[in-house]
Amino acid sequence: MIDEKEFIKQLLSPETQNTAFQKLLSDYQRPLYSHIRNIVLNHDDADDVLQNTFVKVFQNLKNFKGESKLFSWMYRIATNEALTFLSQKAKLSGISSEDLQNKTIDNLKADIYFDGDEIQIKLQKAIVTLPEKQQLVFKMKYFEELKYEEIADILGTSVGALKASYHHAVKKIELYVTSN
Amino acid sequence: MKTFKLENEPKIKSGFKTPDNYFDTFSEKVLQQLDEKEVKVIPFYKRNKIISLAAAAAIIFALLIPIVNKYRANSNELDEATIENYLSYHSNISQYDLIQTLDDSDIEKLGNDVTLEDETLEDILVSSPNIEHLISEQN
Repeated sequence: MIDEKEFIKQLLSPETQNTAFQKLLSDYQRPLYSHIRNIVLNHDDADDVLQNTFVKVFQNLKNFKGESKLFSWMYRIATNEALTFLSQKAKLSGISSEDLQNKTIDNLKADIYFDGDEIQIKLQKAIVTLPEKQQLVFKMKYFEELKYEEIADILGTSVGALKASYHHAVKKIELYVTSN
Repeated sequence: MKTFKLENEPKIKSGFKTPDNYFDTFSEKVLQQLDEKEVKVIPFYKRNKIISLAAAAAIIFALLIPIVNKYRANSNELDEATIENYLSYHSNISQYDLIQTLDDSDIEKLGNDVTLEDETLEDILVSSPNIEHLISEQN
């Protein structure tokens, strides 16, 4: 794998930009899609947000300072885009973000791009009851299997705080699933 | 009731799928979008310029409002000829009423304005059929 600084240089130079951006797309489209899909839940929305994410990444590359890893920076953009998308969608529908997510989960049963049974639906319903940050931490750790260090870099928190957050999230989810 | 323990359960997958070949065509879609955006996007500094120009135009327009209003008010003022015409043809004020309102200085001014040669005056008096009537009135 080429050095990240070198890769960013290629992304910024007009001659190599196209090839480099193609590589960026093919390397990151799948993990970022999963990340976004886990937040917005339905495929069409995830598709929209993923496209916006890459457009934003492309437009802001020149402002990328290299203070964090490209990976974390892109995940951060994707997270922000997905959360903004959700809150705008909820606002447009005139319902709370939690209600919107519950509605989306109910619709998942009929979604052709969802292959899950009762336990998956129940787990999603349990996740919705968590505060936003815990939802994010749980999804990134449990579904996406990211390392605590990576999540810490993306969300800008300490590993210790994340571990505590994940622990709380798991407890609440177990309680929800047991009693429902 | 059996207590649910996440770690005791087999890993629960998210269950999310994508349409077939979704990722094969995805990058093309993004690149196409970028091309469109490059055409449409107005760089921020240009947008700023447009906003400042619009603001300047709005300020100038706002400043012009009182001036234009004043100008329009001025042009609405009646000029002397209009007043004269009105008084002559549309008002009930008779010549005599008007004469009553004149004071000495007005008459003097009128004398200056209407400088008639003696001859002209004579001609008028001679040609006027009411001359006798006027003379008797003077007396």
